[in-house]
Amino acid sequence: MNTLRFLVFLALMALLWLPVSAGQLCARDAFDRDVCLTDPAQRVVSLSPGATELLFSAGAGKQVKAVSAWSDYPQEATKLPQVGDSNRLDLEAILTLKPDLVVAWVDGNSAAQLERLEVLGIPVFWLEPRTFQDIARAVEDLARLTGHENPGSVRASEFLAGIAELRDQYRDALPVRVFYQVWHQPLMTINDEELIGRAIQLCGGDNVFGHLPRLVPRLSAEAVLEANPDAIVSGGEGGEDRRWLEQWQRYPDLKAVASDNLFLVSPSLIQRPTLRMLAGAEELCQVLEQVRARL
Amino acid sequence: MTRLRANQLVIDIPGRSSGQPLDFMVEPGQIWGVLGPNGAGKTTLLHTLAGLRSPRSGSVGLGERSLAEWKRRQVSQQLGLVFQDRQDGFPATVLETALIGRHPWLSPWQMETGEDERKAREALQALDVGHLQDRLVNTLSGGERQRVAIATILTQSPKTWLLDEPTNHLDLHHQVAVLGLLKAQAKRGCSVFMCLHDLNLAARWCDHILLLFPDGGACWGASEQMLVPSALERLYGQKLLTVDIDGAPVFVPATTTGTQSS
Amino acid sequence: MHGYSRALAVLGLISLACMLLSVSVGSASLSLADTFSVLTGTGTSLQQTLVLDLRLPRTLSAFATGGLLAVAGALMQVLLRNPLADPYVLGLSGGAAVGALLAMMTGVASAVVSGSAFVGALLSTFLVFGLAHGTGSWTPSRLLLTGVVVAAFWGALIALILAMSPARQLPGMLYWLMGDISPAANPFPALILLIFVCLLVFPLGRSLNVLARGPMQAAALGVSVRPLEWTVYILASLLTAMAVTIAGSIGFVGLIVPHMLRLVLGNDQRLILPACAMAGGALLVLADTLARVVIAPEQLPVGVITALLGVPTFLYLLHRSR
Repeated sequence: MNTLRFLVFLALMALLWLPVSAGQLCARDAFDRDVCLTDPAQRVVSLSPGATELLFSAGAGKQVKAVSAWSDYPQEATKLPQVGDSNRLDLEAILTLKPDLVVAWVDGNSAAQLERLEVLGIPVFWLEPRTFQDIARAVEDLARLTGHENPGSVRASEFLAGIAELRDQYRDALPVRVFYQVWHQPLMTINDEELIGRAIQLCGGDNVFGHLPRLVPRLSAEAVLEANPDAIVSGGEGGEDRRWLEQWQRYPDLKAVASDNLFLVSPSLIQRPTLRMLAGAEELCQVLEQVRARL
Repeated sequence: MTRLRANQLVIDIPGRSSGQPLDFMVEPGQIWGVLGPNGAGKTTLLHTLAGLRSPRSGSVGLGERSLAEWKRRQVSQQLGLVFQDRQDGFPATVLETALIGRHPWLSPWQMETGEDERKAREALQALDVGHLQDRLVNTLSGGERQRVAIATILTQSPKTWLLDEPTNHLDLHHQVAVLGLLKAQAKRGCSVFMCLHDLNLAARWCDHILLLFPDGGACWGASEQMLVPSALERLYGQKLLTVDIDGAPVFVPATTTGTQSS
Repeated sequence: MHGYSRALAVLGLISLACMLLSVSVGSASLSLADTFSVLTGTGTSLQQTLVLDLRLPRTLSAFATGGLLAVAGALMQVLLRNPLADPYVLGLSGGAAVGALLAMMTGVASAVVSGSAFVGALLSTFLVFGLAHGTGSWTPSRLLLTGVVVAAFWGALIALILAMSPARQLPGMLYWLMGDISPAANPFPALILLIFVCLLVFPLGRSLNVLARGPMQAAALGVSVRPLEWTVYILASLLTAMAVTIAGSIGFVGLIVPHMLRLVLGNDQRLILPACAMAGGALLVLADTLARVVIAPEQLPVGVITALLGVPTFLYLLHRSR
């Protein structure tokens, strides 16, 4: 009897908490702050191309009222008004739109500028996806804040499932030593903590510069010659630009050049931390499979 | 001997109307003094005669040709100019400074030889600055720097010497020494043409005088004819008292009351 | 004058030593013995590629650039009769930067970027010269003032270009602005220009010594001042344009090296100019070596190293000259 009463008491206590959190839509942002809205956001401003994509992936496309420059995906986003680029934002334009949520990017936007928006009562949600989990969680969080919790959740799970599938598929594959070129002058690559680096690991690849401390190291050609990777992969300068890859032909002794393992991948798939990363990773895995076939 | 000549020369002073055309010839052995108040154009005249400035009209002749027809390098073998002030941008030793006087005589591919250095050293000795040869010029006193400048021209050994107030900064002893050196050069066949602000030095050392009046007028000729008190008073706008000492006139500015004020 | 040959021989040896060091050192480890074997014709294919295709052209480029900048700096200092002049004082590096950045913004190949930089530098020269000409009087102070104004104008344009370029192009642009030896460049045009200018120095040298005393004094001693000033100006501009084309705007070499050499070797341009070529070259080769190995395999732009070395050196020199 006493136990039953105790359990009922606990149940009643639990029920008491429900009304308090039931009305709040909360999500924790990249700065570890809880951003809570009483109602789903109806007027969202996105301040980076990545955030724009993630918002549309979360199902909130119709609620996005303005985007930042270079937000070119999906197609609907290009029709939206633009409010500036990275840390050159038009705060007045943003304010005029009367947003109830602003989605910002840690690497791209200036916290100092956006503080002013927060002072005026506009919630700012910061994103910094560094892992595939982060991407999934971003979609879920944005979905929750914009009232699409279930569909968003579904898409996030699909994404993670796809990633897990790739991991399983290539878990025992022959490791391929890869050099991923981000830029040509200065010569830049990424390490293992970066999303592209993680995609390489996913596909059973071994990023020859993955161990370096900086996220985006700047190297010399010498380092690449010494590392002598099996393949050189790059997104190029956008579009079908093989120029950077062709410059490596100057070193015919490089394994990658000798076996013609110079690959161009679609930069918009793999260089954006969005759900399209799955397609980007799949493309990268296929590239590495080609390399394995030639090894 | 290439004589320096002014042919109906009108010097160009920006903002001032043309003065009287100058027409004279500087013969070897002559020592000319140019007198005039500040702003009369003495320095401008000297620079025009050296070919560094264009005249407003007329020309400067060197030998049979006009100065403009000569090559710069050959001109500087004939004419030497001591400036009133100097620009010493980069540190240089006294010997190096005297040595640049040899520049007109060396072809571009030649390096200075021991012979050139000897000439420079001798010139420095003659100006009593030989002991300073390794000092940097910007550490010298005004008088020492002036003597080095004159030594540079001595190294250059042109036939015609143009000097702009050569006795500036010099103490009495060195004033006499420098003017004595110029006289010796004249005796050897060079000609000397110098601007002086000290009337009495001109009276004592020059055999020809050119007076430049502030209104643009000018007159020139042998000293005895030029050093007339009335002309000089008009030149300087100052009453003068004349005294004869040792065969040459000495001019002293007269005070208005004629007595010493206490 | 025998002191001259001795000084130049010493500098020559130092230059060779620096170049040898540069060729032996890099982010890939290669022993000195391996380097020698490559230089004498043997060694593995990878070693040969490293030394002959990567490090040697880069070392030669660095040497040529350093030499060009130092000589240009010395010439500018004589021309402007100002020991604080450097090759960029007349807006040359700004013009080159604008040319390069505009080319980068339109996404062309690196060769076009270099060419654009060269054109920009020369354009700036003509602009400054034309503006400073005025009513025939072409004084150093007028030239300096015009140069400073034109440089400021280029600075404003550079800021504008940086502000309007897509964010993803910025690292490349900033990299160019900080100054670095472009690995693909052919060092031979620059080296040939450097050698040619050093040879030219001999007949011009004494006239330059006299010119340094002032144009009036120089004219009085038989120097054709105007043609000489023109020649020096064009030479200095050409040298600087070439240097900036290879390596962006690397600072301090053109200012510090002539200064340091003058403190030690005096003021005879016939000695100073070839000495600048070698000392400037050696200095930049050393700086480039440091830039390549200090945080290897990561690379620093060489302009950063020359600035970090240059500022304390310059302060020290100023202190000494008081």
